[in-house]
Amino acid sequence: MNLLTILIFIPIVFGAIILLLPSSLRASFKYITLLATLIQFALSIWIYLDFKTGAGFGGVNHEDQFQFVQKLPWIHLDLGAMGAMQIDYFVGIDGISLPLLVMTTLVMVIATIASWEITSNLKGFFALFLLLDMAVIGVFCALDFFLFYLFYELMLLPLYFLIGMWGGVRREYAAIKFFLYTLFGSVFMLLVMVGLYLSVTDPVTGNHTFNIVQMMNPANYSEGSIFSVAAQQTILGMPARLVGFVVLFIAFAIKVPVVPLHTWLPVAHVEAPTPVSIILAGVLLKIGGYGIIRICLGIFPEVAADGAFWLGLLGVVSILYGALNALAQRDLKRMIAYSSVSHMGFVLLGIASQTAEGISGAVLQMISHGFLSSMLFYLVGVVYNRVHDRDIYNFRGLGSIMPRYTAFVMIAFFASLGLPGFSAFVAEAFTLAGTFKSSTTNGLLPYWMAIGGSVGILLSAAYFLWTLQRMFFGQPLLKGGEVWRTALHDINFRETATLVPLAIMALVLGIFPSLVLDVANGSVLALVEFLKK
Amino acid sequence: MIPDQAHTAHIQTFHTVVAVVLPLLAAVINNFIPNKVKITGWISTIAILLSAAFAISVFAAVWNTTTVHTQQLWFTIGATKVYAGVWLNNLSVMMLALVPVIALPVHIYSMAYMREDERFNRYFTYLSFFCFSMLALVVVDSTVLLYAFWELVGFSSYLLIGFWFTRDKAVQANKKAFIMNRIGDIGLLSAIIILFAQYGTFDLVQLFGDGGLVSRSVIENGLWVAPAGQLPAIWQYVAFWGIFLGMAAKSAQFPLHTWLPDAMEGPTSVSALIHAATMVAAGVFLLGRAYPLFTPEELSVFAVIGCFTAFMAASIALTQNDLKRILAYSTISQLGFMVLAMGVGAYASSLFHLATHAFFKCLLFLVAGIVIHEMQHVKHENHLDIDPQNILYMGGLRKKLPLTFIAAVVGSLALIGLLFTSGYLSKDGILIQAFEWAEGKAWYFQLVPAGALLTSLLTAFYVSRLIVKVFFGKFRLLDVHPGIKLHISDGGWNYKLPLVLLALCSLFPLFSLHPWLYEHAWLYQGFLPSNHLERMNIYHTLIPIGVNIFCVMVVYLAYAMYVKRNYVAHQNSRLFKLSYNQWYIDAFYNKVIVNSVLALSRLLYWFDRTVIDGLVNLLRNIVGELSSLAQWTDRYIVNGIIYLITVLVRRIGNLARLFQGGKVQYYLYSMLAVVLLVFIFKLLI
Repeated sequence: MNLLTILIFIPIVFGAIILLLPSSLRASFKYITLLATLIQFALSIWIYLDFKTGAGFGGVNHEDQFQFVQKLPWIHLDLGAMGAMQIDYFVGIDGISLPLLVMTTLVMVIATIASWEITSNLKGFFALFLLLDMAVIGVFCALDFFLFYLFYELMLLPLYFLIGMWGGVRREYAAIKFFLYTLFGSVFMLLVMVGLYLSVTDPVTGNHTFNIVQMMNPANYSEGSIFSVAAQQTILGMPARLVGFVVLFIAFAIKVPVVPLHTWLPVAHVEAPTPVSIILAGVLLKIGGYGIIRICLGIFPEVAADGAFWLGLLGVVSILYGALNALAQRDLKRMIAYSSVSHMGFVLLGIASQTAEGISGAVLQMISHGFLSSMLFYLVGVVYNRVHDRDIYNFRGLGSIMPRYTAFVMIAFFASLGLPGFSAFVAEAFTLAGTFKSSTTNGLLPYWMAIGGSVGILLSAAYFLWTLQRMFFGQPLLKGGEVWRTALHDINFRETATLVPLAIMALVLGIFPSLVLDVANGSVLALVEFLKK
Repeated sequence: MIPDQAHTAHIQTFHTVVAVVLPLLAAVINNFIPNKVKITGWISTIAILLSAAFAISVFAAVWNTTTVHTQQLWFTIGATKVYAGVWLNNLSVMMLALVPVIALPVHIYSMAYMREDERFNRYFTYLSFFCFSMLALVVVDSTVLLYAFWELVGFSSYLLIGFWFTRDKAVQANKKAFIMNRIGDIGLLSAIIILFAQYGTFDLVQLFGDGGLVSRSVIENGLWVAPAGQLPAIWQYVAFWGIFLGMAAKSAQFPLHTWLPDAMEGPTSVSALIHAATMVAAGVFLLGRAYPLFTPEELSVFAVIGCFTAFMAASIALTQNDLKRILAYSTISQLGFMVLAMGVGAYASSLFHLATHAFFKCLLFLVAGIVIHEMQHVKHENHLDIDPQNILYMGGLRKKLPLTFIAAVVGSLALIGLLFTSGYLSKDGILIQAFEWAEGKAWYFQLVPAGALLTSLLTAFYVSRLIVKVFFGKFRLLDVHPGIKLHISDGGWNYKLPLVLLALCSLFPLFSLHPWLYEHAWLYQGFLPSNHLERMNIYHTLIPIGVNIFCVMVVYLAYAMYVKRNYVAHQNSRLFKLSYNQWYIDAFYNKVIVNSVLALSRLLYWFDRTVIDGLVNLLRNIVGELSSLAQWTDRYIVNGIIYLITVLVRRIGNLARLFQGGKVQYYLYSMLAVVLLVFIFKLLI
């Protein structure tokens, strides 16, 4: 049995168990979910240790270099004169998906522990949770566009209900907004996907195919087809490949999110329950970055090169715009949501640079942000669960009231603002280095973008430290007075146990970034090589 | 490499690493010691003692004999290999030895100074962590690590400035310190990235070593040409300004100096170590490391900014009343001298002054700490509401605190730069070389040495004012609150030993056997290129004599003004206000820069909610309206037609039903009617 397949479908098995168990056993659901995520995490570690690195294992556009591959014919219909419809169950990973996979499984464990706070309709919650878990793992593994799209859409459904049913006061508004935004992105993606399918033929079978890796090879496009590189077709007067790229980019940019497609994020985060916030920020946003690398850059490399300037510009704008908005927030969770926008801007900037440093930096930033944003949202959840308030100005001097909590907040804040020793520092520094280098090596991005991006590092210090000063330092003063004071007890064992692994991951990756870079390097170099052509 | 040399390099590297890691180890251990056990002071002190021993052994082995560069692969990113290692040369081993030697007395002092604090253990955790970062900063061999530790010293400084985190002023000060340092950090980061893009390496030795890549590149025809590759020349200037910003933030130079006076909110022992002796010197150290990068014009920028900062800070120190603030501005001023020295090419003098300044400024801060501690004691004992740092309440303390007084005098003399002190040796060298540098240049370059000279005199004045106000005359607090009790003393050995040690190090013998010729100082000679000229002109004689005579006169003037006449400045004069309000720089930053950034952020948030989200909501509403329209059409037109049909069918059905009543008579009538109708039709057709 293929390890990846097991990894993808474990949650479904456990989800089915939960659905079959009577509701009287509802107290056990969280443990069942925890077990599922722990098994998944262990499996992903196994895969990580078993993963081969080196020149021959780059992946990207070489199907034979992917690892843990499973390829089964899934839907094969003979359509007579129109050829055969060929959809495969095709999963496999390379150095870009592997770190994200490991990060995802760990974040899922954390999100499960954060789900202890959920008290209503446990069966529904955990079943949806596990469905979501399956979908995100599937997205990172799928190499068949149809399969990818299926998993991608499958994420939407549980998320909609998770926000809409277990969320805050304006949960329905948030859920609808989230749903419409992402649906808007993916509907058009479907059209491009079909277009690509009709353009690409499998050189072995001669059928049209959804195989993503084969879509990267211009030779596989049939003559005169809509997305053929040579044919230069147009859609509504615009080059077809440009349209295809832009449509896919918008779909993923909504997920990242890139300014100005980001406004679902603060709302969704503020209304979502803590575990969903963790998954949203920790994993979902990375699917956007991953999609841009794997699909947009992979399938449309020449358009990506032409449009690199605009991608870079959007990256810089996201960095600065997100940071400045974070500075203006009163709601702690909203502040962190905007900081996510800012930090994910680095990912886009690094990808746009198309240099090895930039893309590695982007991958590392995604991993780093996965852990750090999970930690940040969990920390917000801690205070919100106790007093049901998150307004920065309603708290002062929490450092005296909750010293251990404050220590973790400081770790998370300083790690996020790029303090050396934590993962974000290496990621952001090398993203910027790659951005700057881009001008001399491939001429895609102007020099000033690196400088512009670095201002984001300054602003991140400003909003995090200002928040620390306002909320955590000074003489204790709470809006809720004595009631709050008693409610705000310091973090307990379970909460500490959740936060410690995240903090350790951020620290370990800051000191040994090679843990990610060693597995990613081969693929990043292969990708850069591929993009140069 | 010859095996023997390799062996030496191996041993020195190992010793260096031990010296660096010991404080980190202490910090980690201290972190886990419960609050009640106050053993952490000793753990940190022993760690720094051992660290000092290792550092000195490395110093002895490397100084003027060899350089050591060892490295190991840290990680690979793309095709770029990033190494971690140490680079030991005269510059780094001097810093390596200096830091723990200064830190040791501060540790001893802190054990007594912080004894009453309930977060005693936390204090020593932070302090050890600082020592680790600082030691690592000076020995690392790559720009990435340099930046990393550069930020970490800033971070430990943040922790220590805000050590008393319930005080609002302290936490505002540490935020300000960190953010202003961040401005410098992004400058430094940009410079590092530019150097990486230009030279493809992060290795300091390859970049700045003898005959390194930087020294082999030139600026010509608007291009900055390196041995491999080139960039537009503007990026050389950007790299320079980046390093300038980094230096200006860390070493508190104009325009990024305003965090340092505020940083005095931290414990005084911290101010002594971090904000006077070591961390703030890191900027000057950075200039020393990156020296080959700078063109002559760029060096002039350092000279001008250094001179301006030195003068401005000294002028502010003249009128301040807070004991620690005066010393903070004095630090800024002295750092200005070092930067100026770098700018005029007095590389050796700059680093020499860095070393001497570390000792005497640390000494002065420890003195200030004792004075403040005793004033606090008076305050608590008598339940007064006074600022224990305000020198206006002090006076006549020389009788109560005799040892502290002597130490203060030694420190002040060194700071003024009078004969027989270390400060004399280092500062006069700077002045002399500043004059030599300006010779033959345009008139405005003459302002630099002139400004430095004037600053020397201002220094003499404000230091004397400080000493006189604190230690001479009568205890002025008694004027306000007669009858208060004074139970104050120099304190225990924890206070006395550091003072004595540092006071001894502030005198000339540590640095030179010759009391008045700075060229003979061994530390100075260690940084000189071998071919330099000695005592080539009259400046070398004239300036030391002149400066000393003038300074003595200024000291006497201050003494006369404040002790004999009880002089009070005209508080309404413009100059006084300018100085007292610190040239309004801070106010300007707050009003203009901070507020405009905040306004921009609020504007963007408004934009986000109203415009971007507004568009999204508009779109949603349009879709909503369209769907209502569709619903209306659906209900009233599509559905309406269907409904109409059903109604019609039903009506017809109802009609037909009338004929199905079940009564035989009706059926007969109907049949008759139908038959009749058929006949009528037949007849008609």
